[in-house]
Amino acid sequence: MERLLRDELKAVNYMLPKKRKNLKELLNEEYPHVPLRDGSAHMFRYSELQKACNILGDELCGNLLLPIILEMRPELKEVVAEVEDPIAIKLICRVLNINEPESPPLRLYPIHLRVLRQEIGTLLMYAISFRRVLGEEL
Amino acid sequence: MSQQTLRVTRPTKIELIRLKKRVKVAKRLHKVLKDRLIILTQELIMLMKDAVELRQRVCDKVQECESLLIKSTSLIDPSLMESYARTRYDKVEGVIGSRVVAGVRVPLIEVRREGAPRESPKYPILLMLASRCFEELVDLTARLGEVEASITRLGAEVARVKRRVNALENVLIPRMENTIKFLEFKFEEREREDKTRMKKVKQILARKEGTVSAST
Repeated sequence: MERLLRDELKAVNYMLPKKRKNLKELLNEEYPHVPLRDGSAHMFRYSELQKACNILGDELCGNLLLPIILEMRPELKEVVAEVEDPIAIKLICRVLNINEPESPPLRLYPIHLRVLRQEIGTLLMYAISFRRVLGEEL
Repeated sequence: MSQQTLRVTRPTKIELIRLKKRVKVAKRLHKVLKDRLIILTQELIMLMKDAVELRQRVCDKVQECESLLIKSTSLIDPSLMESYARTRYDKVEGVIGSRVVAGVRVPLIEVRREGAPRESPKYPILLMLASRCFEELVDLTARLGEVEASITRLGAEVARVKRRVNALENVLIPRMENTIKFLEFKFEEREREDKTRMKKVKQILARKEGTVSAST
């Protein structure tokens, strides 16, 4: 059963990026993409990258690492995604038109995720947190 | 819900502890899969809504573009129209790649046009309007293709994850819980048997002591 759980988490998290790039770097690429752990690549939509840069401004463009990782927390009863990166939090709050939290992480609920998918869908990736699911009891 | 139990090699307390741990892990796995299923289902529903809307827009756009094209062909020579279409942008390319959505690889199609569109007053306005209309149509069609291919892939993944969630929820976890109940019941019974056995032994011993003291 533990093996099944680990395999399932590996399968979900196997397509996470090996290396993240910043927004400015991606805007300068002809085909903006990041390499993934399984050897393939995740491409970004150029229009969404430009939108993100316009929202953040030139100063913060170089500091935003993409893709933005939305960490799922299965141990909570509701479906909640968390974002730790402060620049990503700024971008997401501006897209959703909500106030920034006092300290990270930013918690996102399904209604927020729906809007984010429509606006900057290719800039987001889901990850399920390994250490929190298995915990110390096992 | 399954009423069956798992086959247990030896009904010991260690087996019970192991089983309880397995149930905990199974419930966590179930939660992980269920969360993933919710995300995938939300994505799928959103894509399906997009697909319906895009199809309608493509149909409407085709009619609009056709009518504009017919009107502009009446005003300009077709060869001139063709040369205008070819020189409108410096470069037009279709970028086909892939991206990952909740662990599922889906296609990404983007149409890129380099340079500003060349709109000269020597061409009729209807021709320029028709060009813009066809550009939007190309963008919509590319997006529709991407969305429909994504729906197929996400649908397959949703079916796969749903099967696993149902197997855990309706078969594996109930069987493990039934086995735990069965084992606990067995241990209780064993304890009761031991108690009654001890009582009987004490009674027999007491009787023996009684007869021995009576004989002495």
